[in-house]
Amino acid sequence: MKINSNSQEKCNQALEVLKDVYDPEIGLNVVDLGLIYRIDFNDAAQVIDVDMTLTTQYCPMGESIVNNVSGSMQQLFATYEINVTLTFEPPWDMEMISEAGKAFLQGY
Amino acid sequence: MITGNASIQQTTTHKVVIPFYIYASLSLLAACVMLLLYTDVFDQHHFHPKTLAITHTMALGWGTMIILGASYQLVPVLVENALYSERLALISFVLAAIGIPLLVYGFFVFNMALPARVGGTLVNLAVLAYIINLILSIPRHKSRNVHAIFILTAGIWLFITTLTGLLLVYNFNDPFLPQNSLRYLSLHAHIGLVGWFLMLVLGVGTRLLPMFMISKYTNNKQLWIQFVTINLGLLLYILFDLASFPSASYMLPAILIGYGIFSFIWFCRKAYQQRIRKKIDGPMQISLLAVMLMIVPFIVLLVLILIAYYFKGHYQMGILYGFFIFFGWLTAIIMGMTFKTLPFIVWNKIYHKRAGQGKTPVPKALFSEKLFQTMFISYIIGFLCFATGLMTDITAMLKIGAAVLLMAAVFYNINVQKIVFHKPAS
Repeated sequence: MKINSNSQEKCNQALEVLKDVYDPEIGLNVVDLGLIYRIDFNDAAQVIDVDMTLTTQYCPMGESIVNNVSGSMQQLFATYEINVTLTFEPPWDMEMISEAGKAFLQGY
Repeated sequence: MITGNASIQQTTTHKVVIPFYIYASLSLLAACVMLLLYTDVFDQHHFHPKTLAITHTMALGWGTMIILGASYQLVPVLVENALYSERLALISFVLAAIGIPLLVYGFFVFNMALPARVGGTLVNLAVLAYIINLILSIPRHKSRNVHAIFILTAGIWLFITTLTGLLLVYNFNDPFLPQNSLRYLSLHAHIGLVGWFLMLVLGVGTRLLPMFMISKYTNNKQLWIQFVTINLGLLLYILFDLASFPSASYMLPAILIGYGIFSFIWFCRKAYQQRIRKKIDGPMQISLLAVMLMIVPFIVLLVLILIAYYFKGHYQMGILYGFFIFFGWLTAIIMGMTFKTLPFIVWNKIYHKRAGQGKTPVPKALFSEKLFQTMFISYIIGFLCFATGLMTDITAMLKIGAAVLLMAAVFYNINVQKIVFHKPAS
């Protein structure tokens, strides 16, 4: 799934870090799982907006996953304010899992 | 900062959920100890003090307590809304935790007076608290959610079961029903087995099994058909039983309920085939085994109906039927699901605030995989030995089976304690 961003270079850096944030039950990172929808950088205001979702709206692990995304981003972009927005529009779908993610889940 | 057009669901606190798991694991242990000590009662009629004590320890202390605990955790996921009241959930725990041993003690000493009556009343109050909590947790706009309807209906059947049970306890010493309590025992048991356990496992299983396997398969129409056939079957059974219909007529409700069971197995099979996640872990393997084990008591039930029709009564088959349900299907699914849910509850309690602050263990690292495998193997061996002992009347086989099942219960308890008392590496 394509992740929207206004700065591809910084977005790639962020995605590398977020690949270390896992859904503890599935064992797959949030990027390949397709939970990250958008990462926008406002360098002037030193703000990063992250739009993300969860596999289910009432996911019991939701709080820790979102905290983990926020914490990991903060470590990489220490001078920025990180705003994580949780959205269910569109709702997560299995088709959002990346090819690498599918291969991982299928044990390849 | 975390914001959004959807808030993060605050899950039910572990303080409410974990006591149910601990209580249930100790109940399994107690039931297995009784199974080993009183193996000799299994060649007698099932209306025996020790058999009643073991059955109620399994049905209430083990099965119902862990399902209530897990429900409080899973209701938000299933009905997509927060639990209405954690305090009410805790009250239900306290009431049931006091009521169950009193009731079991009453059966054990075969005294249906004060302890059994107080125990039964407390259990009923606990169930009432559970249902009220459930009703108030389901949002109005989700009232057609098939999983929510399954769970709520199961809760109502549970209340009917415990209320019937209480009436039977009172009727034992002070008869007020048209016939003696033994006459209604099968009715009471089947309302609980089909209405409560089966309905709940189907409602929760059809949501969680595809979710854990990451399966695309979903079929709400099939779930509604399961719902209708099982409830219709149970209602017909109650009607036929109260009207004392001939044994052969029970085939109709049995077929309807059987259809629901096979439809559920079919659903799980399709979900399994269409899963994205290929590797099935230990807890899921045991849960899927439990799905297959559902067929066994159903076949025994059909044989029982035929035997009742041709030979009028057969104690051993009745005991075998109950054993397959409580120590087979129900125990297998609970053992599997414990290690799919409890590690996450404890992990959330310990690590959710540490997220993003370095490496944390995965939830499944909170229990010993090796001990889980040993428990799984012991359970299968114990179950097969005991079932063989029941079918062949070989006492030594029953003893070996009960001893190995007790070992499985000990391993289960050690692993549960390991999860509950997990301490993070500093």
